[in-house]
Amino acid sequence: MSARVGRVAALALLAAVHLAALGAGFLAPYAPTAQNRTLPYAPPAPLRFVDAEGVFHLRPFVYAVTEQGSVTGAYAEDRRRAYPVRFLVPGAPYRFAGLPGHVHLFGVDEPARIFLLGADGFGRDQLSRLLHGAQISLFAGLMATVLSLGVGWLLGTVSGFYGRGVDAVIMRSAELFLALPWLYLLFAVRAMLPLSIPPARAFLLLVLVIGLVDWARPARLVRGVVLTARERSYVLAARGFGASDLYLIRRHISPQTAGLLLTQAALLVPQYILAEVTLSFLGLGVSEPVPSWGNMLADLQHYHVLASYWWMWAPGLALVPVILAYYALSEALSTR
Amino acid sequence: MHGLLLLAGVSLLSFVLVELAPGDYFAEMRLDPRISEATVHALRARYGLDRPLPERYGRWLASLAKGELGYSFAYGQPVGPLLWPRLRNTLLLTVTATALAWLLAVPLGTWWATRRRGPADAALTGLTAMLLALPDLVLVLGLLLLAVRTGWFPTGGMVSLGHEQMPWGARVKDVAFHLVLPVAALVLGIVPALVRYVRASVADALGAPFVRAARAHGIPERRVLFRHALPAAANPLVSLFGLSLAGLLSMSLLVEVVMSWPGLGPLFLEAILARDFHLVLGPVLASTFLLLGGNLLADLLLAATDPRIRTEER
Amino acid sequence: MEAEPPLVRVSGLTKRYPGRGGRRAPAVEALAGIDLTLTRGSDLALVGQSGSGKSTLARCLARLEEPTSGQIWFDGTDLLSLRGRRLLPFRERIQLILQDSATALDPRLRAAEIVSEPLEVLGRGDRRERRRRALELMETVGLPAAWAERRPLELSGGQRQRLAIARALAVKPQLLILDEAFAGLDASIQAQIASLLRDLQGRHGLTYLYVSHDLVLMGLLADEVAIMFEGRIVEQGAVARIFTDPRHPHTRALLAAVPSRPTPAAPPPP
Repeated sequence: MSARVGRVAALALLAAVHLAALGAGFLAPYAPTAQNRTLPYAPPAPLRFVDAEGVFHLRPFVYAVTEQGSVTGAYAEDRRRAYPVRFLVPGAPYRFAGLPGHVHLFGVDEPARIFLLGADGFGRDQLSRLLHGAQISLFAGLMATVLSLGVGWLLGTVSGFYGRGVDAVIMRSAELFLALPWLYLLFAVRAMLPLSIPPARAFLLLVLVIGLVDWARPARLVRGVVLTARERSYVLAARGFGASDLYLIRRHISPQTAGLLLTQAALLVPQYILAEVTLSFLGLGVSEPVPSWGNMLADLQHYHVLASYWWMWAPGLALVPVILAYYALSEALSTR
Repeated sequence: MHGLLLLAGVSLLSFVLVELAPGDYFAEMRLDPRISEATVHALRARYGLDRPLPERYGRWLASLAKGELGYSFAYGQPVGPLLWPRLRNTLLLTVTATALAWLLAVPLGTWWATRRRGPADAALTGLTAMLLALPDLVLVLGLLLLAVRTGWFPTGGMVSLGHEQMPWGARVKDVAFHLVLPVAALVLGIVPALVRYVRASVADALGAPFVRAARAHGIPERRVLFRHALPAAANPLVSLFGLSLAGLLSMSLLVEVVMSWPGLGPLFLEAILARDFHLVLGPVLASTFLLLGGNLLADLLLAATDPRIRTEER
Repeated sequence: MEAEPPLVRVSGLTKRYPGRGGRRAPAVEALAGIDLTLTRGSDLALVGQSGSGKSTLARCLARLEEPTSGQIWFDGTDLLSLRGRRLLPFRERIQLILQDSATALDPRLRAAEIVSEPLEVLGRGDRRERRRRALELMETVGLPAAWAERRPLELSGGQRQRLAIARALAVKPQLLILDEAFAGLDASIQAQIASLLRDLQGRHGLTYLYVSHDLVLMGLLADEVAIMFEGRIVEQGAVARIFTDPRHPHTRALLAAVPSRPTPAAPPPP
């Protein structure tokens, strides 16, 4: 019963997070690359309901802020004018599911900015970057998982089903890939690709590298399942009335690997999300100005950012519930 | 023997991967208008980069045999001497962390196994789940923040300024002081999984028929635990030791880079960014070597602790 | 005897498996030169202990394993010379029914799907036709059509075995090989299946090859028994003769191992 509740909660959270990432263009008030050079490291703006005169407003508002003196990050609010939060406001253009759009869920009038999660060193809205970065980081994890499980499934099935020489070759190569510490292998493969590439290609390359480097573990597991499935009498019986290899794999063998693949997916997605984050953090992944949770965290390598601007941790903190949900899901799947 | 074959396979695989990469150290040079095309060409010829792949692999193997592991263009010297001190530092870090992690995990996991269904059980389950879900990167950055905020520990590097001038004892203390933060990161990173595993294997052993029989004979609980259950749980734990090394080395890479520990990690990253290919291969091979060494150690330990394997092997 | 060739003629059939544990381990000889003839409409029982090679022989006959040497003639055709597509028409004519249906039927499929699977594989008819035929076949083996949506684990052992028989009949075979098809069933269920098989034999002109370790049961089912021992057929003859006058020492050993023999065909020798 509680396992069921956990599974539903985890799935709901993951669905919400992924939907938010998909709808980033609409949900985010600004474009992720829009800079405000006068507002570096502006702190998160509190939503206010009571103004300077002590009057209560039903519609929340924010104050505009200006940097104080020469110290970066010291800001003062200008309480003379309140900027009420408006909904469905026109703003920066974006594309959603291929369709162009320019309406954002919320925003405030110029020249004020609504930075609910503060701003980074270029005065870019952290919330907008977090949402857009989720697109990169979460979907890199998903796509790499599909790729690695796809390749692992194919090689594991071929290896287990046909056995003999093919099996030996595939399993020896798997051992080779498993002999290296994973992150080292990932880096070594990343090293063979050009360093500075446009973000869209960088994203695809990352997915390819992460997905292809890790085919060996799923391949081994799938092979094990296929080996036992192949020996079932009903596979033999189907052969007996003339079923082809392809039919046997499709009808009798693959369905048995489905459970394994699902459990593996729940384990691998968070691991691959972290791989993207790590690579981008170290400058080997998706690069500025396109946000990913990894390159957003890279700013924390400067000690003054690390110690002074807590909102720069947002991507790191956002990772925790996502990973927790995936773990809960994998646990629920494996104890089913 | 099998390990040697694997190492040879990894060397070939990584060499081919890295050599197939577009561009090399000198290709970056071409972008510099002050260096003529002819110079770049001459440099490439001098270092044998214009040769076919098998010949380059052969040369690299020959240099590997000499312990040089190829030539770093960025440093203008063989890779070997650059690598050894880094390998030593990585070993210092990972061995310390492994030792500490196991010293923590075994007693804690054993104790946990004897406390089923209580507040301690629930607390440890929650705590380890939280730590497991905490990304390594966030954990490392968090510890760094702690160090920056409190000033209790040095925030990076392996030695303080003026380390060379210190007396011997002070030098050891200095390094140990710098070790605290990276070791803490590694230990916190690997202990949760270890503790859970120790608890599971000890709990398994405690539920085994022969242990229940011992209990039924009236043998005191303490003796049941230490004399019967723990030796039975030792076997899977030793196997885990070998398996956990890969994760440890991977995490160590990240910790070293973020906390500027002069191990294999920063060298590796630097080599990748500089397209310094032989220097990329060095850490790859070294880490494989460490992993294989660790697994060998685990196998030997297994043979030593498990009488059944000794007799099977004859 | 008519001039027509026998349904199956096997000569000099051998099968060797590579030995376990290293290249130099001696090969295991599962079949050491088998000669066997099956006439149309007969029932022959292959009886032997586990490891005697009887199942290997059954699988070679069904072309599920490749013999090392020897010949198999089926209805005048050299079966071992055929591969792939050209083998397909013969696959339909020889069907194998395996021990316990719990593993012989895919647990995820429904009864009607299982029975219509051979038709699907061979591309016979459309979905509706196949289903209609499957329900027909289920009726034939005594399973109500209402059970079409049940999965194998919702059926009893005997019902599963009926399902397996229905599946084998889907392709209209001439030879049915039943490998330990009665193992693990209660005596009363065994009797029901046996009478079903006899009934089907009359209606469809089937030839049966039973494979079993149970000499007593085979004595009740088959006309003729072949005793297998270490990859060879050591003795073959009519049931009554085998029970009353066993010639090979292994046959005598098998008979002696039977605790009490309530065989109508052969009263125990003193």
